[in-house]
Amino acid sequence: MDLFGNLAIGFGVALTLENILYCFVGVLLGTLVGVLPGIGPVTTVAMLLPISFTLQPVSAMIMLAGIYYGAQYGGSTTAILVNIPGEASSVVTTIDGHQMARQGRAGPALGIAAIGSFFAGCAATLLIAVAAPPLAAIALEFGPAEYFSLMVCGLIAAVVLARGSVIKAIGMVVLGLLLGLAGTDVNSGIRRFDFGFQGLADGIEFVALSMAIYGIAEVAYNLEQKSEAGVVAGAIGRIWPSTADMVHCTPAILRGTVLGSLLGVVPGGGALLAAFGAYTLEKKVAKPPRLFGQGDIRGVAAPESANNAGAQTSFIPMLTLGLPSNPTMAMMIGALMIHGIAPGPRVMTDRPELFWGVVVSMWVGNLMLVVLNLPLVGVWVRLLRIPYRLLFPSIIAFCCIGTYTINTNVFDVFVMAFFAIFGYLCLKLDCEPAPLILGFVLGPMMEENLRRALLISRGDPSVFIDEPISLAFLIASALLLIVVAAPSIRARREQALQE
Amino acid sequence: MNIRAPKDFWSGVMFLAFAAAALLTARGYSLGAAGRMGPGYFPMLLGGVLALLGLVLVARSFVIAGEPVGQLHLIPLSVIATSVCLFGLAIERIGLVVSLILVIAVSALASRESRLTETSALALALAAFSVGVFVYALRLPLPIWPKL
Repeated sequence: MDLFGNLAIGFGVALTLENILYCFVGVLLGTLVGVLPGIGPVTTVAMLLPISFTLQPVSAMIMLAGIYYGAQYGGSTTAILVNIPGEASSVVTTIDGHQMARQGRAGPALGIAAIGSFFAGCAATLLIAVAAPPLAAIALEFGPAEYFSLMVCGLIAAVVLARGSVIKAIGMVVLGLLLGLAGTDVNSGIRRFDFGFQGLADGIEFVALSMAIYGIAEVAYNLEQKSEAGVVAGAIGRIWPSTADMVHCTPAILRGTVLGSLLGVVPGGGALLAAFGAYTLEKKVAKPPRLFGQGDIRGVAAPESANNAGAQTSFIPMLTLGLPSNPTMAMMIGALMIHGIAPGPRVMTDRPELFWGVVVSMWVGNLMLVVLNLPLVGVWVRLLRIPYRLLFPSIIAFCCIGTYTINTNVFDVFVMAFFAIFGYLCLKLDCEPAPLILGFVLGPMMEENLRRALLISRGDPSVFIDEPISLAFLIASALLLIVVAAPSIRARREQALQE
Repeated sequence: MNIRAPKDFWSGVMFLAFAAAALLTARGYSLGAAGRMGPGYFPMLLGGVLALLGLVLVARSFVIAGEPVGQLHLIPLSVIATSVCLFGLAIERIGLVVSLILVIAVSALASRESRLTETSALALALAAFSVGVFVYALRLPLPIWPKL
């Protein structure tokens, strides 16, 4: 395995003027939506999917990836200064970060968040470069049975980590799988679940579904919440943390990076879980612990490092296995498919420039983010004055344009309106949409692998437990389910996800 | 018997409705056998699982207490859905500029905080931005003005 040769390919791709530009656009937009509460990376990536169609695949991926990790940087700014999480993954940063701002230490809080994120981003990118090739090599050996069981395991893990009731989450996965099956069946040519609509011949448009749920339904839901005025606490002051702060934070950043990298890989994980996990861990192991909640700088450093690390490593299952670990990764898979690239282990061998270009661009992007975030923090703060009443009609307008242009088909716009109502009801019923989106993306792939596995075994379902790797995945899924069902762990899980 | 967990109950009902639609529609597709799966096999399997989960939720909601469903604000929701549908009806007939102004004007009605002058300015700015970025810079196939 020639890591340096591969990285050289990556630098060759990522450092072209064009791709530097798209990387910059991505991280800039990412920071923007990260700072603004009420609009997140999922919505933004969904809105940009149609545009990415006009770009080279690698430029598109570089830009979309930048949005995701850029949002992790931006989210911390709002969390620290306004006490509102700009992104869900920066919820825990509000606890100590905003306390620091109130004590006049907003500058060091912002500084350590950016430094921690930068370190974690670089470390996690290196981890992708080292870990992804062997993983892809293993995945290339997978047959349909292994793949099917892997997807089951991935979906179960996503369900277990979702907020709220496990039965509902499994129901949402199954419903997502069903919705994914609509359209022409590749094997028989029969149009399934088209209900007589010509527009459903190719299935439900992924962009329409995701924008309906993450764009429009969210707007309707957010409009009910009381609008919180963005009051910026105190002066920002000197940003660069003191040497004492840096020494104090180093172990927290390291722990956050390691834990975040691990949790990012887990399906259903990613930035959000990483930040929660890191803060909880930090409260347990950091000495002395008593200052947490009152403006402990480690309470900013650890979760901010972790959410950035998690955001980066969640690309590993997507790039090596073609499995999305969270809705943003599902969008990325959608973007690849728009370009006619089947996500999976072959991407790395067939299109090394795509894989390594994206990986290297993450370094470039992280560097840009530090520059964007630290000196320019004042500009971002001013953006917070944009009221939601101006933001939400814009979100709806961009969703409409995006959905229409993906196929130049009006029908998709009506599909979006329909699923917006459905998405709103789901939010009201506490049915998490993330498992639905994951199921939707995996539906056709799961059916195909199930069909092939059973075709090879002549209909004998024992093929799934005869193959050792497949069996391991199924056992892991069963264990996960048992673990969640166990009452003691259930209570702790609820507590951890509620905080 | 009383429903003790309304959120679970209605989630279950929703799953049952989707499952019923899936199972009824999938009846028309040939099932095949496990070794030679027809187009109906996987949908039937999923529909069955979904129905089962729906039943569990409904049954459980009579036994284990849970949260009530929060108030549904159907008017803002339908205003927004209408604005989206209007865009769908308008875009190919009267072009991007008017459609955008329409979608922003109507969707702004969903919030009480919207103000007329602000929203008008937003609509004009977004229309100009979208024509510049989407039509000229990105060359997306969008008609700008009404077809004469």
